Amino acid sequence: MSAAEEVEPGEIAEFRREVRAWVGANKPADPGWKLPQTFLEVESERQFEFLRAWQRKLFDAGYLGLDWPAEYGGQGDTLKRQRVVSQELNRARAPFLVNTIGLQWAGPTILAHGSEEQKRRYLRNILSAEEIWCQGFSEPGAGSDLASVQTRAEPAADGWLVTGHKVWTTLAHYSKWMILLARTDPTVGKYAGLSYFLFPMDAPGVTVQPLVKMTGEGGFNQVIFERAPMPSSALLGRLGEGWKIAMTTLTFERGAAEGSGGGQATSSAESVKRLVSLARRAHRDGRRAADDPVLRDRIAQLWIEEEALRIAALRMRVPALDSERPLALRLMNKLVYSEFNQRLAELGCEVLGPDAALWLGDPCAVDRAEWPRAYMNSFGMTIGGGTSEIQRNILGERVLGLPKSK
Amino acid sequence: MRTPIPVDFGFTDEHALLRQEARRFFAERVTMADVRKLADDPLGHDPGLWREMAELGWVGLVLPEAHGGAGLGHLHLALVLEEMGRRLVPSPLLATLWAGFALEAAGSEEQRRRFAPALAAGTLLGSLAICEPGGSWEPHDVAGTAEPSEGGFVLRGLKTHVLAGAAAGLVVAPFREPSGELALFAVELPAPGVSVAPEVSVDPTRRTARVAFDGARVAASARLPGDGFQALHATCVRAYAALAAEMVGGADSVLETTREYAVQRKQFDRSIGSFQGVKYPLVDLLIGVEMARSHAYGAAAALDADPAGAETWARMAKALASDVFATAVRKGVQLHGGYGFTWDCDLHFYFKRALWARGTLGDAAHHRRHLAADLIDGSGDPA
Repeated sequence: MSAAEEVEPGEIAEFRREVRAWVGANKPADPGWKLPQTFLEVESERQFEFLRAWQRKLFDAGYLGLDWPAEYGGQGDTLKRQRVVSQELNRARAPFLVNTIGLQWAGPTILAHGSEEQKRRYLRNILSAEEIWCQGFSEPGAGSDLASVQTRAEPAADGWLVTGHKVWTTLAHYSKWMILLARTDPTVGKYAGLSYFLFPMDAPGVTVQPLVKMTGEGGFNQVIFERAPMPSSALLGRLGEGWKIAMTTLTFERGAAEGSGGGQATSSAESVKRLVSLARRAHRDGRRAADDPVLRDRIAQLWIEEEALRIAALRMRVPALDSERPLALRLMNKLVYSEFNQRLAELGCEVLGPDAALWLGDPCAVDRAEWPRAYMNSFGMTIGGGTSEIQRNILGERVLGLPKSK
Repeated sequence: MRTPIPVDFGFTDEHALLRQEARRFFAERVTMADVRKLADDPLGHDPGLWREMAELGWVGLVLPEAHGGAGLGHLHLALVLEEMGRRLVPSPLLATLWAGFALEAAGSEEQRRRFAPALAAGTLLGSLAICEPGGSWEPHDVAGTAEPSEGGFVLRGLKTHVLAGAAAGLVVAPFREPSGELALFAVELPAPGVSVAPEVSVDPTRRTARVAFDGARVAASARLPGDGFQALHATCVRAYAALAAEMVGGADSVLETTREYAVQRKQFDRSIGSFQGVKYPLVDLLIGVEMARSHAYGAAAALDADPAGAETWARMAKALASDVFATAVRKGVQLHGGYGFTWDCDLHFYFKRALWARGTLGDAAHHRRHLAADLIDGSGDPA
């Protein structure tokens, strides 16, 4: 019974009913083996192909790229109905769409900054999951301080040669393309020396090495470039515009702007409703968790916050109700969702009491250790895409007008 | 059944104009110097300002046009109250609104015609007396009694924390009848058998009183015929939303004041707002204020769409506003440093307003208890 979706214009409501029915009928059944919870841990061919087929099915049914122009494989929908599809996928707890980086970050960035040729070349295959994308932004020495990227792109005969080291490159092992932030001019300031490329991952001189997350799962990589070539057409936007374009990508990545090709980055977005159902089943301190007054209070608090997020999403669409601080709700989106999900998953572990300590493989682990897994995975969202601390700096400086922290 | 919140909140250009007008009006008419003066004033509000507000139609904003009101909605009201909260306007508006809600919910056409136009015109100050020495604001917990006698009723019970109790000419209060059912009574003050003792409120911009009904005899016509429990419940739901909107304005003002101070105040040769130890609490407060504002607007929009299903939203709005306002004043005083601890700094008025408001009509923990019962047990009754 959510606040948000129910009273809306007839054509949206009708579309929602249609999507809900389609997802209900077509959502893949539980395969009986472990699916990843998020796009950070796709570690086997079997998982990858399962997820890719699901995205393809959704695309073939016409539910991806609704808001993207028709000439690039989208549908040029003026009603902005893509978010309805995403909400319904979430609601149905459907598997996430494996080409998350293409759909949500690379695609909208190419739409905003790409040449006509680039838009025609890349966008459709993002939607159909024919070509998977990864992101080459972070480096061992450039995390929160992203502009200190050291990976170099040096001019060569027909383009550039890339040398450097990128980390946290989710899905790199299945990717055909990478959005790459690289230094093209070491002699100018750290921001001005960066350019943005669409890099072919099958180039020689590229090594993808798996990194293992705290859950023990892979899917999350590092990429080493040793004079890896890319053509001159790989440049997105103009030389030296890399920082500006990377900020566009981050704006999409943080959900601060609309424009996604569709989907969500996790399949198992937990909800207060699921927490309540867990609390009714779980026992701790010799009684039902749902009867513990302290837990009840904390569940109610999270319910208030969950609904606040839903109402805020509506408020963003009524500019006059958002006029005090026009950027605030958009810029806080990533921070509040990721921290909310983290606290929700953590409270799920508390609700489980001693059973929260049972991990994958134990026959008594509740729901395949979903809650402790979700709690650990939640840090991917509070750290990736700009840490919560960086988000607080951005809000403090851009919304509250506080001076920069040194 | 919960009322879905309309996707556009029912917001119109008319709302935007009203907000603009209210913001300008209160900015011009109520300065902190005025608030300080009224804090020491025996009456506690400015009758001239009150008349102007009544003339603007704001006192009777949500009363029906047939009864002298403007017939507007809760979102209109929320926007005006938010502006009043921002400036800590000392005013009998909330109390008069609450009395009007109760009258509308349970009053006969005749009773409503008798009192509502005077409430809307600002010539009759209203008040709603719910809380008793047990400290509960829930209709369930009302213990005061009404006994039929000689064609009228005898009312007994002590009502505490009655907002504008001493200034009010009309108090609406629930009492339990011999059947155990609640009934609402509209009692004109002063009345024999009713003694009104002003409380010393921590918040000098609010006037509250203890109203003792010591066997007060009232006429049968004082009893409002509507179902007392349902009517009081509906009244409380509207009152939570109204108070929450005012609290959001207060919290927002504290955020803004503290933000400005953090930019201006220099230590170690730089604005203290550049230190993350100052910046992060302000950002967390920003998030809290915006979330509370979303809930305040959401509750108001739900009340406008269908009040029967608005309880959840109103409780959420009051709970979150209570926590956020409390956090705002705590952080506000702390981040202002030594100055924040002084009488000269205006923050202490907000601090005291937050102390008053958080406990009035039930604090955050109280509302979460009811929300948990609704969510987990599927009933409105807390375990």
